[in-house]
Amino acid sequence: MDEPALIRAAQRGDLEAFNRLVLTYQDALFNTALRILSDEELAADATQEAFLSAFRALNSYRGGSFKAWLLRTVTNACYDELRRKKRRPTTPLEPETEDGDEMESPRWLADPSASPEEQFDQADLEHAIQHCLDGLPTDFKTVVVLADIQGLDYTEVAHVIRVPLGTIKSRLARARLRLRECLQAFGELLPAAFRLGKERGA
Amino acid sequence: MKTLTFHDIERLSAFLDGQLRQAEKTRLETRIKSDPELAATLDGLHQARSILRRTPKRRAPRNFTLTPKMAGIRPPVPRAVPVFSWASAVAALFFICTLGTNLLGQFSFGAAAPMMAAQPMGVGGGPSDESLAATEAAVDSGNAYLTATPETYAMTIPEATATPDTRLVQPPETSQEKTRQPVNLWLVFWPGLAAVLVGSALLIRWASIRAFRRKISPRQKP
Repeated sequence: MDEPALIRAAQRGDLEAFNRLVLTYQDALFNTALRILSDEELAADATQEAFLSAFRALNSYRGGSFKAWLLRTVTNACYDELRRKKRRPTTPLEPETEDGDEMESPRWLADPSASPEEQFDQADLEHAIQHCLDGLPTDFKTVVVLADIQGLDYTEVAHVIRVPLGTIKSRLARARLRLRECLQAFGELLPAAFRLGKERGA
Repeated sequence: MKTLTFHDIERLSAFLDGQLRQAEKTRLETRIKSDPELAATLDGLHQARSILRRTPKRRAPRNFTLTPKMAGIRPPVPRAVPVFSWASAVAALFFICTLGTNLLGQFSFGAAAPMMAAQPMGVGGGPSDESLAATEAAVDSGNAYLTATPETYAMTIPEATATPDTRLVQPPETSQEKTRQPVNLWLVFWPGLAAVLVGSALLIRWASIRAFRRKISPRQKP
């Protein structure tokens, strides 16, 4: 059964059809939630909540990209989770200085027992990206996750977070600029293919 | 080297995503060729975007499929269920009424005044000698015989007096009692009350269903 047929069946209350859509998009929604929330448990909760909300509000879907529609529900779930987190703050997992400030340097990535080559694996790259994403305001982070990690176009991102197209362009430019600076700070800790030069062609 | 404005950065970012109009795109391309700072910034933004696009994708830690319970889906209710529920309510009501009637009846007639023992009739309509003797014996043995219930009455009659003739000295005849009983109004009242209650319930139900139907499909004004 193709996607539109599954959506129509799910809109008639066919839970099995909806669950097939869940299996198709659950990785995308979970990854989006994970990048925004930076916590696996919270991301899983937000993803589950998003699918539940999506099933309940399925009749409000009026065509267009179903993925973008689902990403809107998970983004809303993430914002709810962040608001809850703000009301009940938890201890950050990143190390703190003696003064209690969070460490800005990427020293937490370094593992003295591992070789430099081992440090340049995918996990390190992921940690570096996540660290830089966490330094962004939530609005910027959401835009860059949707556009650059999930691959939505500007119109779809505007539809997901319900802001004008101009705002998307502006937020994305600012986010990319700050991410470039952050990733440059990682320097040698990034795999060679991903090192950012300060000059073109460096 | 002149410093780039945020507007330049914004245009470079949109240029990367192919979001600029043709004229603007051509103008920016000309500038990039002549401005190394602009070109370096574009390169940096491009690399940052490339890194983000290659962010490792995680697999979902579990399946997020919904169960019927989570989705709040309930099995369809059979059509007869409302009828059965009403029948249960009516049955319960009648049960309570019946129970109440029985209890009230017991309180009303359980302590009825003792009746005089029926006298066996002799020749000519008068009481026979045997029966008179039996009656005297009964009077002698105490008033308990007169006030006793039919069962205890039979048990407390001495064997000496329990001759075949004394069988006529029986507990008070209930036929006489029945003829003197007033019409039991409770037997009329409770079913009547039940009928009124059920009727009211049906009326309320009908009114609420009508109101709900009006609400979900309001009449269109011409």
